[in-house]
Amino acid sequence: MPRFPLPPEPPRRLPRRTVLRRLALSAGGALALPGLLACGRDGGRGRGSGATGGGGGEGKGPLVISNWPLYIDPSREGVPGSVERFERATGIAVRYSEDQNDAAAFFAKIQPELEAGRTLPQDLFVTTYWMAQRLIDLGWLEPLPLAEVPNRRHLNAELRKPSWDPSERFSLPWQSGISGIAYNLEATGRELQDVDDLFDPKLRGRVGFLTEMRDSIGLLMLADGQDIRRPTYGAAEGAFRRLEQAKADGQIRAFTGNDYQDDLLSGNFAACVAWSGDVAQLALEQPKLRFVVPRSGGLLWADVMVMPRGARHRREAAAWMNFVYDPPEAARIAAAVHYISPVQGVQTILAADPATARLSASPLLFPDAAMRERLQVFGPLSAGEEARFDERFATIVGA
Amino acid sequence: MSGSPRRAIPWLALWAVAVYALLFAPILVIVLFSFNAPQGRFNLLWQGFTLANWLHPLAVPELVQAFVSSLRLALAAAALATVLGGGMALALARRRRRADGWIELLLVLPLTSPEIVLGTALLSLFVQADVPMGFGTLLLSHSLFCLSYAALTLQARLSGFDWSLEEAAEDLGASPLQTFLRVTLPRLAPGLLAALLLSFSLSFDDYVVTLFTGGATLTFPLYIAGSFQREIPPQIHVLSTLVLALSLALLALSLRRGPGAPGAQEAPENPPPLR
Amino acid sequence: MSGSRRSWGPEVSWLLLAPGLAWLLGLFVLPLLGLLPLSLAEPLGRFSLRFRFTGRIDNYSEVLQHYGPLLLRSLLVAGLATALALLISYPLACFIAFRGGRWRPLLTGLVVIPFFTASLVRMIGWTTLLADRGPLLGLLRGLGLVMPLEVLGLLHDGRLLNTTPAVVGGLAYNAVPFLVLPLVVTLQRVGVSLLEAAADLQAGPWITLRRVIWPLSKPGLAAGLTLSLVPTVGDVINPQMLGGPNDRLIGNALQNLVLVQRQLPRSAALTVVLMALLALLVLFGLRGGSRDDLPLP
Repeated sequence: MPRFPLPPEPPRRLPRRTVLRRLALSAGGALALPGLLACGRDGGRGRGSGATGGGGGEGKGPLVISNWPLYIDPSREGVPGSVERFERATGIAVRYSEDQNDAAAFFAKIQPELEAGRTLPQDLFVTTYWMAQRLIDLGWLEPLPLAEVPNRRHLNAELRKPSWDPSERFSLPWQSGISGIAYNLEATGRELQDVDDLFDPKLRGRVGFLTEMRDSIGLLMLADGQDIRRPTYGAAEGAFRRLEQAKADGQIRAFTGNDYQDDLLSGNFAACVAWSGDVAQLALEQPKLRFVVPRSGGLLWADVMVMPRGARHRREAAAWMNFVYDPPEAARIAAAVHYISPVQGVQTILAADPATARLSASPLLFPDAAMRERLQVFGPLSAGEEARFDERFATIVGA
Repeated sequence: MSGSPRRAIPWLALWAVAVYALLFAPILVIVLFSFNAPQGRFNLLWQGFTLANWLHPLAVPELVQAFVSSLRLALAAAALATVLGGGMALALARRRRRADGWIELLLVLPLTSPEIVLGTALLSLFVQADVPMGFGTLLLSHSLFCLSYAALTLQARLSGFDWSLEEAAEDLGASPLQTFLRVTLPRLAPGLLAALLLSFSLSFDDYVVTLFTGGATLTFPLYIAGSFQREIPPQIHVLSTLVLALSLALLALSLRRGPGAPGAQEAPENPPPLR
Repeated sequence: MSGSRRSWGPEVSWLLLAPGLAWLLGLFVLPLLGLLPLSLAEPLGRFSLRFRFTGRIDNYSEVLQHYGPLLLRSLLVAGLATALALLISYPLACFIAFRGGRWRPLLTGLVVIPFFTASLVRMIGWTTLLADRGPLLGLLRGLGLVMPLEVLGLLHDGRLLNTTPAVVGGLAYNAVPFLVLPLVVTLQRVGVSLLEAAADLQAGPWITLRRVIWPLSKPGLAAGLTLSLVPTVGDVINPQMLGGPNDRLIGNALQNLVLVQRQLPRSAALTVVLMALLALLVLFGLRGGSRDDLPLP
């Protein structure tokens, strides 16, 4: 907020009538505008909106879904995207918004509401696995109407009984991905292979880490030989120290969220911790960009669909989840976002279409057994441990 | 004649030009890049000239929604702050009372609090009072920090105000309310406009307090902060240029000297207001 | 029924004051005072912002231990930025006050106009200008100034963004209007005639500056410095957008404490300490000035 001062000396006088008229105009405008603009309050339906008649269900109004940006098959140039196809197929109106930017920021918004027992506007949102676990532990999620999601049977076996939701009642995976190292071959001059490469003095000041604690610390813990499936604060000490040292040395240019993508493209980062799907997409624009799962191991994670307590459109949400688990639909989404689909059979479908055949061979979308061996999921943390991890990491990242 | 102030002038003038260039540099970049045709999602590198952004300023729905939210909030907060602050300024100008010093201190205090402190305090208040956070809490927060500025602005304009016109009106039989509506208010118009404009700008631009007390409301600055992580469309530049142009026009209006002008702290060389 | 001042009874006066006072008391004084008991409390739940008062003094010791150095560094950086802003603003204010003549209002207005854009929008502008492949760095490379500037510490690893100088520069930029305007008002009171008198007495420009202009500008200067230091110390955007991971300031830490770590009592303790420090600075700084020095339309 730029509390700036305005100059104290107006130079000329104006006839009162003119001033009065002008003031009346601007005041009238000021009063009328909110009225006019109130009509636009519920505007902005995001991509893929082509609402047909509303569906049935407990509440009136559209199904409200909140997701991360660029995480779905969008409508473009006359080709309908996932949301539009869903609306046409089921007749259910959808308000899809891409307002998930940061799990912690989203939690900060919903926590006071859910704590006070109020309901959120969203019926369904996609959040990251550890946030889903936190919400499950807090009892703020509605059990999913799984009986109305028969396509659940297509779910990949590896995603059954996940550590963040062992009962499988509260979440369904949206996409999976790998956290590893992305680098610009031109900038580094060589292939990178392990976490140690991020600490190469030649790359000083051009390295990026993620503000996502589990990804940054997890990779370092793996490099340290620790087991991250059952992480403890003590086991992370080496990782924290290494990161603190690198920060003090000026090795790290910045801690970023999704914005590392632009930094990679522009050369601000020579190398950084990154997510597999992003880099797969970026590499289409800039072939010099590579992604590698470090030799010491990479992180496997999932973003999941969850339903907040009190959601009003449970049946519609179930219809949506069923729709995106239909293998052809799942294949379309995978082809658009380049992440690991939770649905079986997607690889075959993509291989059959010449336009997407190349994708079906990508190890980033379909990791083989050898790669999966090197991937681990960051295990659950107790409340006390999580607080200590977060606090120390916050000091490093500086918020 | 050695060392008259005039000898130093070329340097001063050059310095002034350099500082103005510095002050306007980011603004010019914004205006310029509203005509950019970016490849990719981030409008940060000049790629080529295009008018397409200006022809489709509303092309990004979420941006438009955030922009409209900010507009509504800023207009409402500015109106509220000007009314509340104007009342205080009038009361302070018309009668002296013992509490005046305290009241003025109270008005100045918010200027001495960083936004982060204000945001934390207000967040705590709203959480304790179990008030759902959204447009309503934002309006309360914004009107608060605008209040001081509006009140102090109008107080400055009212100091040295010549009340004899009002006295004349009342001597002619007008009631205090009539006098106020038909004599005082029009004379205050430029000052009111200045207060409105200042409050509007402060509210429209606010980031920290909105982050803390806005709940899920997305305003223009919040959208921009998030845009570094998603995409920076040139429409941001277009809309910002429009707001700037509008503010300039209104600023010019508010600078017209009226009888309620801040003439009190004039340097002698400027002519005193005509009566 | 005689003078207009008497036709407004005291009731009307208080009626006009009451709503604004209610706002200030209820939305400013009360919550700020409420930070004190909050700073001695504990959260009700792991992520809750609600609290239970327990008289926990440890909040203060923990917070001072953890964030004390950051607090001091923030004050230093803010001080540096304000000093830089002063260096930029003072000659400009002199120019406007003494050589501006009838263009003074326009020149003063020009200082403020850039700030009619949202600060985040200006940040996009700065990010574009200072980018690694941006115009400014390109110019510096072309002029061969990269190496000398790097030695001076103004560039970091050959770049302008994500560096401490960028943060200081951004903070100084935001502080310029706060300094220019009260300075112009104050310097105007000095009056050109005084300068001409000094010239008639054979005083050179530096002596005039040191013995005439500077002392007379001090009250307005004090007000401006204090007013600009406060928002600078708590700034969140400049360190986040222009700085590297070592450049975060106390504002960022507070934001993280409240919004991510959900530690409202400890953030309240840190806030109380910050406010105490700022109050000392403000009282010290505003002593010399008067309300007339506040630059308002």
